[in-house]
Order: sequence, then structure tokens, then C-alpha cells
Amino acid sequence: MKTRDQEYRELFMAEALEYYDSMSRHLSELERNPDAGPALNELFRLMHNLKANARAMGFNDLGEVAHHLETLFGLIRDQERAFSGPLIKVVFAGVDALGNMIRAVGANQPLPDATALLENLDRLVRGEAPVLEEVDAPDSEEEANKKMELSDLVYIQVKKLDNLLNLVGELVIDRDRIMTLAQELDNPALLATAQHLFRISDDLQYSVMDARLVGVGVLLNKFPRVVRDVASAEDKEVELTLSGQDVQIDRNILQIITDALLHLVRNAVSHGLETTAQRQQAGKPTVGQLTLSALTERDDVLIQVRDDGRGIDTEAVRRKAVERGLVSAGAAAQLDEKAVWAFLFEPGFSMAQKVTDISGRGVGLDVVKLALDSLGGQLRVESELGAGTTFTLVLPTSIAVKGALLVEVEERPYAVPLLHTDTVLSLHPGQISVVGGVLVTHFQEQSVPLVPLRQLLYDEGDGPLPLATRADIVGPQQVLVVNYNNRRLGLVVDRFIRQQNIVIKPLSKPLDTIDLFGGVTLLGSGQVCLVLDVPALTRLFLNKRP
Amino acid sequence: MNKRILIVDDSFYMRTMLKNMLTDAGYEVVGEAANGAQALEMATSTEPDLITLDVILPDNTGLDVLKSLRQLQPSAKVVMCSAVGQEVIVTEAIENGALAYIVKPFSEEKVLEIVGAALQNNSPEQAA
Repeated sequence: MKTRDQEYRELFMAEALEYYDSMSRHLSELERNPDAGPALNELFRLMHNLKANARAMGFNDLGEVAHHLETLFGLIRDQERAFSGPLIKVVFAGVDALGNMIRAVGANQPLPDATALLENLDRLVRGEAPVLEEVDAPDSEEEANKKMELSDLVYIQVKKLDNLLNLVGELVIDRDRIMTLAQELDNPALLATAQHLFRISDDLQYSVMDARLVGVGVLLNKFPRVVRDVASAEDKEVELTLSGQDVQIDRNILQIITDALLHLVRNAVSHGLETTAQRQQAGKPTVGQLTLSALTERDDVLIQVRDDGRGIDTEAVRRKAVERGLVSAGAAAQLDEKAVWAFLFEPGFSMAQKVTDISGRGVGLDVVKLALDSLGGQLRVESELGAGTTFTLVLPTSIAVKGALLVEVEERPYAVPLLHTDTVLSLHPGQISVVGGVLVTHFQEQSVPLVPLRQLLYDEGDGPLPLATRADIVGPQQVLVVNYNNRRLGLVVDRFIRQQNIVIKPLSKPLDTIDLFGGVTLLGSGQVCLVLDVPALTRLFLNKRP
Repeated sequence: MNKRILIVDDSFYMRTMLKNMLTDAGYEVVGEAANGAQALEMATSTEPDLITLDVILPDNTGLDVLKSLRQLQPSAKVVMCSAVGQEVIVTEAIENGALAYIVKPFSEEKVLEIVGAALQNNSPEQAA
């Protein structure tokens, strides 16, 4: 696997440079005190490790030099050779050569030739005198400029990166403010500076975001083990295929979805895939296929869990939803399969053992949904009875910046994350009908309920929304169609402002309990803009619909 | 149940490679120790079925660790890991109850073959 090779190579380099630094340190100590036992032991050990690691990586020349030095240090340690005279020169030359070889490996260059050095080391091991070339007196300036090598890798706490990201967020908000001021004042010099600031802070923002990215592989590579364990506990044969380990994503996002993904994978093996006997009976290959893949789609990262198991039994889920009183029998019959599957993510729905057995789905899927909601992500389901199920997690690449659509209601701006928006429509009254007190339009062969955003945001109380009538529709209506959990909802707004990238700040206490708002952002004008939480708005609409 | 393995090696690179090979094969790696003191502590706290032990460790020779391990966890099987050149120590290790040894650089097949065989062997004393 490519990623694993890269990982090994990076580990090898980081450790080899560390060994090289320690060797140089211990050599200096040995030069001062030729009887320093601990330094000798360390040199012996470091040579031994470098040899073993280099050979494992296939850098045999490097391994060979380390091997010779290891042998020589073994002899010195056992007092069969003394650390004195020409031996010291050869040993220093040897360690220098190791340093050069390690750097060559790091730079992907061919390793320098070490034949003469190896011959001298052989001579020393045999107890002969080394053949030293006449070397010019070292150029003192060159000696002074001798490079100090530090590892190219820095380990950093995620907390520090979080802090950096927050600061960049603040900077970007001020930048937008300055940009707007510059435009208002119409001062060319100020405008040019503001534009420069704009570009730099943009670069800075992306650099910080980039520093937080890790390969999805760091998570995916943990799953062969999980799958093997669950499969063996369930006595099933499962073949796991991974792909897209190199797709990059913010480290914290990966952290947040870890449990959700674990849940989906376990669920797929224990409920999605059938037993060997059942598969044979169904005429399927005995080994169940499970695929975990990551891919990039526009600005989002998609992580898919696909099985070729029994699929979701839509009718069983529909019956259960009616039994549990989540929907009336009449309404349930009208729902298409995606709308039915959405019940699987209702809290507690899964607890019903019966559905789990029949449908093979639904153990705590609401947990998965919650994790995705907290990220502003989405969960998509595709399933075919008897053929398998695919869960797709749609995730933002970064938590810092989100694309959003700015809309206006009663002269106040609101931001709606693009991840949840399907489309914007300008509807004339003829395209809107009234069904059971709810405004409805047809979009892509689907009935989409419409609700004035104003009513959801400003109407107080828990009572149902007022019954809509045709009289409510005056002139063209601006509608933003949002999508959550496969449910579409049309939000009627006063006007669309524009699309822009926003930096979302969480609401602070006591406002953080208002779940209709996912946070707040500052617009360039300095105006505070609330960010709407589409999942919460959708739930509110479903609770309050007449 | 999966067999539980403790890895003792002072190189992070080596530990990572061994761990990947063993976990990929379905073993549970219960700990990674980088020196003798850690090895003894982890062997006591994790009670592994098998320990892979590097012959050359920073604070102690691998051989001393082996002797202590045999006393602390007599049930744990020990497989020595060593690069070529340390055959003397390896021979002594086998005499002191190590079941087998793996020579670095090792192939995945070799590691799994030796570890599998060592785990099959129920009486380490006989192997010595």
C-alpha cells in the first residue's frame, strides 16, 4: 500500500536523523573520554538499529557502513581495539558518511560511494592499519559553515493548531471589515493595501487549514482489524477493500466521525451482510464484500461504507415507523423509500429489536446522524433489497470556512451553509398550491413543502403554524430549497443577497442553547449575521406543521 | 480469542513495522516497549501470550530482560528479534528460554511463520 510505504519512509528518516545526531554527540564524548562505557554502548546500539532499519528499507549500502561500524564499536567495547590514533579519523569519516547517506535518502538521491571507507573499516576490524588519504587541511570557513541537520518533521499538538485556526478566523473577519471600509472611503492607496491584506490572509488561512489535514488512511487503515473481529464473532466471511486513503481531511473532523464510522462498519458486517449459508441460498458469492472508500467531491470529502448484503427492507421500516407513531399509516404509504429510510436515523428508532432483525439495519444510527450534524455534514443512503447498502458521509474538508448563501428576512441577513442547500427558486403564484394548510411546490418531480422563514424564526410558542391560504401568496416568492436527511424544505425569504465563504464562530452562552442557529459570522460590513442550522429548522417545521 | 502480543524494540520504525504485520494478521498488539524497564512493566500489566524481544536495548541488554521476563511471566512465549551479527547473544537467548528468533530485516511471511509456530508450542522448556 502506497501510504504505508510513505509512512515507513518518513519514520525511517526521522529516526535515522535522530540516530545520526546522537552518534555525533556520543563520538565527541568518546573523543574527550575514550573509556566512556555508556557512550560506547549507545554507539553500538545506534549502529545496530540503523543497520537493521536501513536493510529493512532496502538501503543496503547504508546498512553496510552501519554494520561495519557496529562491528568496530563492538570490538572497542570489548577492549580488543582502542579508540585512538587513525581509528578515530576513520570512525568520524564513517559517521559523516552515514549522515551524507541519510540525507541522500531524504532527498531521493543515489547514495554516495563508500568503498574506500568500507575497506578501511575492514582493515581496522582485522587489526590492520587503515590507509588514510592525504587530506588538505580543512578549510576553516567551510568547517564553520558545516550544515546542522534537523528533522524535517515537527510534531505539534492539535490544540496549538486549533488556536492558530481561531486566530486566523478573527483575522479574516477584520480583513473583510477593512476591505469594506476601504471601498466606502474610496481611497486608492487604502484599497490597494486592503486587497494585498486580503490575498495574504487568504493564503495564511489556507496554509493553516492545510497544516491540519491528514490522510483519511490514518482512520481507514484501522478497519481491517475491526472487520476481521466482527466477522469472526459473527462467523461470516467478509472481504474488506479500502480506497482513497490519501484523500486529505481536517484532523478534528476525522476524530469526530471515528465513532460514527466504526458504528456503520460494525453494523454493515453484523446486520448488512448475510451469513455464508444465507448468501449461498440467495445465490450470492459466499464471501461478503465490504468497501470503505474516501473521495473528494467539490469542496467535500465523501466517505462511503458499501456492503453487498441484504439491503434495507423498506416495507419493514415503514411498518415500524407507523407502529412507533412517527407517522400516520396514510402518510407513511405516500412516502418514497428515501423518506422511509430517514426514519432509521430517528433517535431510538433502532432500539426496536424486531426491525433490526427484519431489516438488518438501525442499531443506533441516530448517533451517526448526530456526529454529522455537528460538523454540518450529511448522511446519504442508497440501498437495494437483496443487493446491498451504501452509506455516504458527506464531510467538509475543513472546519474553518464554509460556503454559505446569504439571505435576507425582514432586513436582517442570515447565512445558510451550502452543504444543506439544493437550489434557489423564484416561484410565481401559479407554481404554488395549498395542501392541507401547507404551501407546496413541485420541484424535480417531488412535492416540496414551503414555509416562510419568518414564521419559523419569529413566531413564538410551540403551537402549530397558521394554516396557509392562497391569499398568503402575493407576487413572486423567493425560495431556498434546503435538504436534510433526504427531506426537502423550501424556505421563503425576502431576497437572496449573495454566496460567500464565511468563518463560523460558535454562539457563546447563554445563546448557545438556541439550536436554530449553528453560530454567528461577521459580514464585511461589520453586520452580525446568524448562521441557520438546517437540521434544527427542518425538525422545527416537522413539529409545527399544521 | 486473538493472541495478544507485546513488542519490545528500541526503534520506533521497527515497532511500527512489526505492529502492522501482526495486527494485519489478526493478532492483538497489547503494548510496545522501547526499553527493558518498560518491557518488564508492560509484560506484568498486559500479560501477553507472546513477546517479541529485541536483543539490543538501551538500558539493559536484551538478555537480562529475557531472564527477568522468564521469571515474571513464565507463561509468555518469547521470540527474539535481531539483526545479523549478534548470533552469540541469540544462542544464549535460546538457552535461556526464548523459543525462536527472527533475523532483521524480516519478511512478513517469516515473522508470521515464526510467531505462529511459537504460539503453537505449549511448552517452551522443551524447545530450549
